Amino acid sequence: MEVLKEKVEEEEEAEREEAAERGEKVMRPVEMRREEPPMTQEMLRDLEKKLSEIEIVIPEQPSIITRDTFDISKLPLSYQSNTLKEEHLLQVADNFARQYSHLCPDRVPLFLHPLNECGVPKFVSTTIRPTLMPYPELYNWDSCAQFVSDFLSMVPLPDPLQPPSYLYSSTTVLKHQKGNCFDFSTLLCSLLLGAGYDAYCINGYGSRDLCQMDLTRDVCPLTMKHKEVVQEEEKVPPKKYAIKPPRDLSSRFEQEQEMKKQQESKVEEEKRRKEEEQRLLEVEKAKIDPLHGLRVHAWVLVLSGKREVPESFFIDPFTGRSYSTQHDHFLGIESLWNHKNYWVNMQDCWNGCKDLVFDLGDPVRWEYLLLGTDKAHLSVAEDEEDGMNDEDVENLGKEDEDKSFDMPSSWVEKIEISPEVFETRCPNGKKVIQYKRAKLEKWAPYLNSNGLVCRLTTYEDLECTKTLEIKEWYQNREDMLELKHINKSTGLNIDYFKPGHPQALRVHSYKSMQPEMDRVMEFYETARVDGLIKREETPKTMTEYYQGRTDFLSYRHVDFGERVKKLALNSAESNPRPMVKITERFSRNPEKPADEDVAERVFLILEERIRLRYHCWDDRITASKREFLRRTEVDSKGNEIIMTPDMCISFEVEPMEHTKKLLYQYEAMMKLKNEEKLSRHQAWESELEVLEILKLREEEEEVHTLTISIYDAKRNEKSKEYREAMERVMHEEHLRQVEAQLDYLAPFLAQLPPGEKLTRWQAMRVKDECLSDFKQRLIDKANLIQARFEKETQELQKKQQWYQENQVTLTAEVEDWYLSYCSQAMFRIRILEQRLNRHKELAPLKYLALEEKLHKDPRLVEFLKVFV
Amino acid sequence: MQRLYDSVEPRVMDEHMLKLAVEEQGPQEEAGPLARQEGILFKDVLSLRLDFQNILHIDSLWQFENLRKLQLDNNIIEKIEGLERLVHLVWLDLSFNNIEAIEGLDTLVNLEDLSLFNNRISKIDSLDALVKLQVLSLGNNQIGNMMNIIYLRRFKALRTLSLSGNPIAESEDYKMFIYAYLPDLRYLDFRHIDDHMKDLARSKHQYSIDGLKQQEHLTQARLDDEQAQQEELKKHKVAFVEHLNGSFLFDSMYAEDVEGNKLAYLPGVGELLQAYKDKFVIICLNIFEYGLKQQEKRKLELDTFNECIQEAIQENQEQGKRRIAKFEEKHLLNLNAIREESNVTNIERKKVEYGEDITELFNVLMTLEMQLVEQLEETINMFERNITDLVALFIENVQSLMAQCRDLENHHHEKLLEISINTLERIVKGELNEDLPDDVRALFVDKDTIVNAVGASHDIHLLKIDNREDELVTRTNSWCTHLVDTIHKDEIMRNRRRVKEINQYIDHMQNELDNLECSDVID
Repeated sequence: MEVLKEKVEEEEEAEREEAAERGEKVMRPVEMRREEPPMTQEMLRDLEKKLSEIEIVIPEQPSIITRDTFDISKLPLSYQSNTLKEEHLLQVADNFARQYSHLCPDRVPLFLHPLNECGVPKFVSTTIRPTLMPYPELYNWDSCAQFVSDFLSMVPLPDPLQPPSYLYSSTTVLKHQKGNCFDFSTLLCSLLLGAGYDAYCINGYGSRDLCQMDLTRDVCPLTMKHKEVVQEEEKVPPKKYAIKPPRDLSSRFEQEQEMKKQQESKVEEEKRRKEEEQRLLEVEKAKIDPLHGLRVHAWVLVLSGKREVPESFFIDPFTGRSYSTQHDHFLGIESLWNHKNYWVNMQDCWNGCKDLVFDLGDPVRWEYLLLGTDKAHLSVAEDEEDGMNDEDVENLGKEDEDKSFDMPSSWVEKIEISPEVFETRCPNGKKVIQYKRAKLEKWAPYLNSNGLVCRLTTYEDLECTKTLEIKEWYQNREDMLELKHINKSTGLNIDYFKPGHPQALRVHSYKSMQPEMDRVMEFYETARVDGLIKREETPKTMTEYYQGRTDFLSYRHVDFGERVKKLALNSAESNPRPMVKITERFSRNPEKPADEDVAERVFLILEERIRLRYHCWDDRITASKREFLRRTEVDSKGNEIIMTPDMCISFEVEPMEHTKKLLYQYEAMMKLKNEEKLSRHQAWESELEVLEILKLREEEEEVHTLTISIYDAKRNEKSKEYREAMERVMHEEHLRQVEAQLDYLAPFLAQLPPGEKLTRWQAMRVKDECLSDFKQRLIDKANLIQARFEKETQELQKKQQWYQENQVTLTAEVEDWYLSYCSQAMFRIRILEQRLNRHKELAPLKYLALEEKLHKDPRLVEFLKVFV
Repeated sequence: MQRLYDSVEPRVMDEHMLKLAVEEQGPQEEAGPLARQEGILFKDVLSLRLDFQNILHIDSLWQFENLRKLQLDNNIIEKIEGLERLVHLVWLDLSFNNIEAIEGLDTLVNLEDLSLFNNRISKIDSLDALVKLQVLSLGNNQIGNMMNIIYLRRFKALRTLSLSGNPIAESEDYKMFIYAYLPDLRYLDFRHIDDHMKDLARSKHQYSIDGLKQQEHLTQARLDDEQAQQEELKKHKVAFVEHLNGSFLFDSMYAEDVEGNKLAYLPGVGELLQAYKDKFVIICLNIFEYGLKQQEKRKLELDTFNECIQEAIQENQEQGKRRIAKFEEKHLLNLNAIREESNVTNIERKKVEYGEDITELFNVLMTLEMQLVEQLEETINMFERNITDLVALFIENVQSLMAQCRDLENHHHEKLLEISINTLERIVKGELNEDLPDDVRALFVDKDTIVNAVGASHDIHLLKIDNREDELVTRTNSWCTHLVDTIHKDEIMRNRRRVKEINQYIDHMQNELDNLECSDVID
């Protein structure tokens, strides 16, 4: 502490001199409250005295979680009391605080040991419980921070200018899913330390936006467009024989003039744009905060080094965003701590955190609480020397004692997050964040029945009244809908689908779900048989783009005419619009010569014309063309002319003989006629498909069933049923087994007084009783069989006697009956005899088996062992 | 199956018969009259059937250039002939004829299906050219030797074979033999071959097949080797330094040199000769390597040139295409506008405007072309200069190397002369101890004879060197001039074609416009 004292004194001296010389105010974290004109040293001291006299009455802070909401008695013992080591630590901390307040009387008291939920003071470092979560998502700092910011809802500090007097354990905070910035930071720090980062909690001062989690002046990260990396094309060095460009005959002077003009206009444009930006910035600028620099905030610092972090940075636990250590939002640091130690900032924060050096081993900049932790010390030797020279021997002894003292382990229970809660994430599964001109809403998956998980609404104005566009993200939808983009200003809706839609839909943009309106559908062409990529529709046209077809069709454009009015039916399906023109384009088929490979085919259906344009040879600039008139004419004799030379106008790049023939032309035309029919049919089918898709989409929107992964054991009803059935079967099986192992000792043990331990004598008696009882049973059984046997024999004898007596008078029927009776009786007797014999054989064995069992019975074994 | 052809008159394949057949088998229904009206050219016919015509000689088929399928079955043809021009033939049916030998099929490289069913063929051969053969039908013939099957191994695409009704088909082992020797075959005598049988057959004939395979493999390897050597030689020839990568030139110098060989027996000449040879070969190798290097350089030069020229032409073509596409768009609109216009003066005005458009297009295209011609000419000239320089340099260096050869020869000659005269002196003095062959000793009669002999040898050597040098120089120069000529010619051809194309297109457009006028006038 002597070091500290001396250092501080020196510092203060220097500062005072400086202030006196320059007449500047001394900006220390504490003094930032005062905004005063330059003052002299004396005035300053007076003021300090006055201020220190003023007793600030801190009102009893209402705790964020009222005590009634949870039962303190249920919390573990470590929550309710302090161990000896912890007590010791508190003493050390108190001592530290005392010295600190003595040395730096103008700084606010340190945030060292707030009360926990049970009202027990706990040192802040012990509140951090480094934990590695079993979720791979929580292994990296960004996802960790995002989780914490999502999982907890923010409660402002009771007094924005003071650190809270309570700091709850992370387990409690997690249970209630809300907390202030200190709770947030502690939890995040625990997770990050668990994941191996070099993380620290910071108690400091932040801007208003930061402290109140006000993102209304931040641009939503989702709305930011990715900057497209413009790849500079590599300039190929001109080849040796590259031709020289034709001479440029335009005037250079004129060009220069033009350039000048353009530049001027550009400069003007730039100026105007800048002004506009300035204006916008003015509007957006926050009102000046009267408490600027005084608002207490807690956040997390991640130092470089561990987990390949290249540079130290801050994480704001409310938003989960990372900031550089130079960021404007962070206005000062009082102290920082991790699970091992506590450091007080001794650097000047007049310029926010911009000039701070995060070398915790430097005792001039960072005063540590405990010695002997793993942070390297820059000048340990010097410290020791200074300490020895000091006259305060008492303190010296104390310090020596401290040195051997390290931070007790955390009093907080292990942090646990159940998978259900982890999946739900936000409190009640819902979270709303307000950004600048945007609102972001998040839901847990399966919370909304239509699968909505995220909605981003962007607004035109800062007050968020005029909606510009809405983006909705979906998950687990059966129709594979992924994102719905609604542009309110143009009325354009765009649906994006993941692969797997029954119609292979990829993107669907439309203004209304009515057919024959402007719409664009894009498809996953590999999932479609016809290789369709895109279909664009306007009220009068339909354009389709294909890829990878065997007939090389790449484009089809259909123009529709006015619908012919029909009286009865008016649905689009029964009354298709008449087609006026079909244009089809084909890509080059390398197997055909270019002037037989059609590039474009236009069917002018109303004019009965077919126009063909062929592909161009590689070394040509013109392509062959052919135009057919489909009109059938009748010659003077009334015969139908099937082909005349003027029905086909053709231009051929390389005139050929056989194409001039009427026969060739006739055959070509016949083929085209068929193909026209086919194309019309295909166009009609496309129309039908659009209707079908629209119908399907409507149905899907209405039903919006969600898919459940087969691995999702909780939600998958089928697997749940199966599992339950299996459990039931297992249970029944178990019951049966229990029954099978009937307790033969139960009736005898029941006779004994309950709750008492067996004595040896009792055990012996129980055993004997059990055995004798069994013996009795065996004898009874034998007797029973014997009795039956005897009875049966007697009866037979009687019958035989009767038969011999009346043998003469008996009818044949009766004799038959007698004989059958005899044989049956004999059979019964024989069986009984066998049973008896078997019983006699088995009884001793059974008896021995029971005796053996009783010997091994766990309840009796200890008493009977002696006799075995 | 013999048919008596005494009973029926053999018919001659003449124009009339072919015409009839073509018309009969030509387009049917509506197109029929059209076809008849215009007449069908023989070269447009793709398929022709001439069965049951009692044809004895195949004749007059040369016009059917594009024929794909020809049926000549059930005739009395005795010899396959007159099919040489039908190179596109895929399907040929000559079944039920009296053919005795397979011949005259060497040009039909596209043939896939050949039927010679029911003929008198006794040996399978002369089918080497038919590399695409898939189906071969040779049933009901007189093939008696099983070894004919091995001939069929060379047809990698052969899948279907029929040989039933031949003497070999009666042999017990017939099927197994074929299964084993033609493993790729799927159908034999119109029956599918099952894999099990194939396996059985293979194991049965394993030994002999392996031997055969080995032999085939060796032949193939030898062929490959030869080919590779040929390739190598070709490469050297292109560099004009063939046979310079060894002692070939030196050996050739001594091949015709009788005296020189004789003189080699003289004492001391052997070593001298060896040293001379070594030095000579080193120079030859130098020339060889230098030649290859120069060839690389020339090739690179030519490639760059070609690439650049192609790029320029492509670029120019793209521009032309864009122009034309733009024009075509406008063209359609224009035509429609003129068609729909009712006012005569307006029509006239529009036509004039349209005509101007066409002229403008013509001008633009022509300007582009002229520009390209100019640019290309410049580049070609530059290339010509460079390539001539390269060649000149090459020749110069080779010549200097050759001069070194000559120096070596001169040096050698002097040494040899010295030795010879010494030997002569010693012989004259009777000091020579070594035995010399008689014909060598015969040279040493007097000084003139020996000097002449050595001189003759020297002359032959110089001549050889000079010849080689001359050959190299002439060939190089002729290559260079030929190359430049071709480039110029190609460029001229290209230019003409383009100009023709543009003119044709413009004419067509103009025609269309004129036609429009005519039809309007009629309307």
